[in-house]
Amino acid sequence: MTVHTGQRNALRRFTTPIAVVLVLGAVFAWVGTLDLDSIESRTLNAEHLLDRTREHLVLTVVSSALVAVLAIPTAVLAHRVRSRIVKAVVIGLGNIGQATPAVGVVILLAIVWRTGFTTALVSLVAYCFLPVLRNTLTGLEQVDAATREAARGMGMTPNQVLWRIELPLASPVILAGLRTALVFSVGVATIATFINAGGLGDMIVNGLKLQRFSVLLVGAVLVAAIAVLIDWAAGLVEDRVRPRGL
Amino acid sequence: MTGLQLANLDDFLARRWEDVVELALQHLAAVAISLALATAIGVLIGLLVWDRPVPRSVSLTAAGIAITIPSLALLALLSPVLGLGWAPTIVSLVFYSLLPIVRNTVVGLREVPGHLVESARGMGMTPAAVLLRIQLPLAWPVIVTGIRVAAQLTVGIAAIAAYVAGPGLGVYIFRGLSSLGSVNALNFALTGTLCVVLLALLIDGAFVLITRYSTPRGLRA
Repeated sequence: MTVHTGQRNALRRFTTPIAVVLVLGAVFAWVGTLDLDSIESRTLNAEHLLDRTREHLVLTVVSSALVAVLAIPTAVLAHRVRSRIVKAVVIGLGNIGQATPAVGVVILLAIVWRTGFTTALVSLVAYCFLPVLRNTLTGLEQVDAATREAARGMGMTPNQVLWRIELPLASPVILAGLRTALVFSVGVATIATFINAGGLGDMIVNGLKLQRFSVLLVGAVLVAAIAVLIDWAAGLVEDRVRPRGL
Repeated sequence: MTGLQLANLDDFLARRWEDVVELALQHLAAVAISLALATAIGVLIGLLVWDRPVPRSVSLTAAGIAITIPSLALLALLSPVLGLGWAPTIVSLVFYSLLPIVRNTVVGLREVPGHLVESARGMGMTPAAVLLRIQLPLAWPVIVTGIRVAAQLTVGIAAIAAYVAGPGLGVYIFRGLSSLGSVNALNFALTGTLCVVLLALLIDGAFVLITRYSTPRGLRA
């Protein structure tokens, strides 16, 4: 690779964060020129923005981590069982899960249980569990049977086949599933405001209710920026972690 | 208490099924209108960019970034401009449908074997005829798959649009939330959510048929 294409790649790689920073800068510059009334200045200050952003990130990252810890081992188990019925059930449930609206899951759980942060966390995990489970299982199933057999023939134990052949070969599909779950969570965490779980959705909803466009705009742009940056960062990790041969 | 509320579900539905059907039809209409618009726009964009590397990667990257934006944020941003109700709902549903449709149009057109296009030209077909009679029909199954993915996406997002007074079953889900603690809260939210799931599965089933009957006969499996 020449220096020139290297620079171009670096430029392309950082286009997204640069664009996000520019948009955020423009929004904050515009808000800075406004005369804020009491409602606006209560939300449009550094402390409030940081608190809401932190809540949002905690909700997103913790739920995605829980999903990874719960769904990937479950998928490995379902894969190990080698039963068609188990797989059909997982795929079928995954399809139904995909058809379920996130806002329905969040609100139903709030009604039958209680409102608040924990409920939002549980519904996020419940919502993202099935897609990741299904993706992981699909990834493991896609591993070429001949490769698996060759590994067994070389004398690898089933565990070695799993760790050294199947999981690395399935990793792109598994990571793609996790990346989708992360981006999904940012969106669903926005809805968490409906059940009093905080996050940047608060600002969007308050801005709408109280007709304060500046509050709404800052909340919406921040949440969009988080989603875009998380997707971008996950993409970088995906490229980094992918086994070299793939 | 939960059991008691659930026991009333059949009673609840018996009293409100007309309401539920109307909301379901609204939901379906919002999804269908958005998909029709998104297909027209998305296929057009796909046609314009599929064989030009730079516009292609720019439009796919832009659509990929656009789809990550949380739907509540987009609906809220649209509402000062477009007001409440159908307008922001349709615009945001079209917005989220573009990525799968543009991407699949590009993939579908690129998969058409070059020698087929060349022999069509060699037979004296005009570029427009090659496009309409060779390229688009061959790419069609892939494009329909993109529309199908967009349909699944939009059925769920349309539920959130009820928050900006949009049409559809989301109205019941949010009514469940606003009547939290009352007897019918669970009935409202459960009816809304289950009907969305049902609608999504029905639409997905319909796409199996649409894919089959809109695919040129020679390509059917």
